[in-house]
Amino acid sequence: MSLADLFRQLSLLIGAPAVVLAGIGAVLIVVPRDWRAVLFGYALVTVMLSLLLSQVIPAEWALQQVIAGGLVAVMLFMSARQLRTPAHLARPRSQQWPRMASVTTFRLLAVGLAAIGFVAVREGLSLPNISPLFRDAILWLGVMGLVGLALHEEPLHAGLSLLTFLGATQLVVFTLIQRRMLVGLLQGGQVLLGLAIAYLVLAHGLAAPPAAQDEPELSVFGGEAP
Amino acid sequence: MIAGPVLLLGLLVVAAVALYILRRFESLAAIIASGLSAVIAVALWRLPLTVPTILVGRPVHLGRPFMWEDVSLQISPASRALLVFLFATAAVTFILAWRTYQGRTFYPFGMLLLAIWGAVVMLQPLTYTPMAVVLAAVLSVFLIQAGKAGETHGAWRQLLYPTLAVPLFLIASWYIDQAPLNPDDQDPYRIAGWLLIAGFVLLLQPAPLHVAFPAVASQAPPVVAAFLWTGGQSVTLFLLQRFLVTYPWLSEAVDSASWLLWLGVFTAVLAGALASTRQRLGRMVGYAALYDYGILIVALGLRGTAGLPTAIWLLLTRTFSLLTMAAGAAAIRHYMASDQFERIRGAASRLPWAVIALIAGGFGMAGLPLTAQLPSRWALLQLVAENDRRWALLLLLGALGVVIGVIRAGQACFGELKFSPVERAPRALTIIAFLLVAAGVLLGLFPQLLTGPVAAVILPLSILEP
Repeated sequence: MSLADLFRQLSLLIGAPAVVLAGIGAVLIVVPRDWRAVLFGYALVTVMLSLLLSQVIPAEWALQQVIAGGLVAVMLFMSARQLRTPAHLARPRSQQWPRMASVTTFRLLAVGLAAIGFVAVREGLSLPNISPLFRDAILWLGVMGLVGLALHEEPLHAGLSLLTFLGATQLVVFTLIQRRMLVGLLQGGQVLLGLAIAYLVLAHGLAAPPAAQDEPELSVFGGEAP
Repeated sequence: MIAGPVLLLGLLVVAAVALYILRRFESLAAIIASGLSAVIAVALWRLPLTVPTILVGRPVHLGRPFMWEDVSLQISPASRALLVFLFATAAVTFILAWRTYQGRTFYPFGMLLLAIWGAVVMLQPLTYTPMAVVLAAVLSVFLIQAGKAGETHGAWRQLLYPTLAVPLFLIASWYIDQAPLNPDDQDPYRIAGWLLIAGFVLLLQPAPLHVAFPAVASQAPPVVAAFLWTGGQSVTLFLLQRFLVTYPWLSEAVDSASWLLWLGVFTAVLAGALASTRQRLGRMVGYAALYDYGILIVALGLRGTAGLPTAIWLLLTRTFSLLTMAAGAAAIRHYMASDQFERIRGAASRLPWAVIALIAGGFGMAGLPLTAQLPSRWALLQLVAENDRRWALLLLLGALGVVIGVIRAGQACFGELKFSPVERAPRALTIIAFLLVAAGVLLGLFPQLLTGPVAAVILPLSILEP
């Protein structure tokens, strides 16, 4: 089966279902605390973005989105797994990674308000050469990315919110500009960004809880504390 | 024939790999990194761009472009000037980092960072260059975090804004391509102008987007932070200059000069106010550097015949002050095991030259007499006052804030040692601190020493090609 055939088989999803699923994935990145749900949300966004991108750029190029997103998800999964040590799990839940800056209800409320804003402005927004379906996807993913960036300083959630925002902008950029080099550069950049985020997830997660300062020093890159 | 960019970037990547392998031998790594940077700076300065030369038996054409599909890399006279500055700064910084214990991974990562900054200044098309800036920010994450577990604010904030800027530049490039299709319609230029200015605000990170500054200053090793600021900001400002020259309509479409002036003045005033009230050395250094950065943005906003030379002059002199201040702060932070004002008491008795470097560098950032910054700052204030005296007054108020912050930091270093015994600073550190302070005073007394380098940069910048 060729790549084009594969995308043809998934044609049922391409269109409104892909936008809806990507939107749900973005909400999963912003709202839940659990890292598994967050990573699942990111995987969903990545796959749906790839399906949507296949409408504006060749399928082989669109597939790069899945590959780059998959690599990022694997790196983040490995970082998260490294943090699940018995010593870490023995801590009270409030001191376990990921430590959030807000409660889930608040984040849900923020997403609800963003949804109201989305409904209010979507008709008034016009983007050049962008179909209404893509416009909705771009607007929702962009808003969710920014809401996530505003609500989180914890690197896993904030980093994936940033990648979600970049996903939205990729829909715009690749609709307007179809160049192989640009696709390669942006997807390669996404993987490197994922690497930096995975490193920060580890650095943040290995931090000692406020009461105890005896956590091992992170030495992935062999650096020394000043 | 080997193209200059390939040789330069290839050499830096190979050096970075070698330095990573040698990182446990820190003295050797520092000397190699510094020596190589100095050799590259001299070679770039001396070798001709227009004709091929023979290097190690191979023909090399420094000015020859390297092309790959849509993108190309080329060393132009203007980019050569900046590259010489970056490598010369790196040569000094690597030695400083070695004697102030900034972490041994700084040398390989620093080399890679130089390669990426080099790519930014050589890259075409211009609208792709912010992607390379993001790559530099990704690498900075590892330098800022420096293997420490804990707070990640500094590294994260350093990464965030450049990443958000990239799509703006790419969408602007589409509008720029569309504009010639309908010459009567000015909307594409206007929209592209706003997108580019928004992108540059995110790249420049003036106040109120300055949050990365204090976070990096308190988290990263001070000399590493100074290196990131010196290199990253000079590259971004060079990029802005390239955009303004390449797209002349940009100045009219959004009145970029006015924007830069306002942002620069606001940044300087806010940073000065915040520097005066900090309780930690790192943050005070961060806000002092931010004040100075605001001044640099103001200089670039003035443009015209005098604005650009003043900006280049400021760029050179601020590097001395910033590195002097950072070296002092790094030594104090290392030996006193803290940078809180209440915990560095007694530093002056054990680390006198580090404290002098901190104060001299800090006063340099404020532009006080007997520092490298005074002549360039004085020239800038005169230019600003010609436009509006109130702006000059505001900049002086900001400088007052920095002076208060530095005096408070210096005052905190005096008195008897309060905490555990602190060893005396090694002789090498004392000599380095002394040399930096002396160089600053010398440049303050004889500013004409920089006339040659400034003139060498202005000419290529004035004929900067798209």
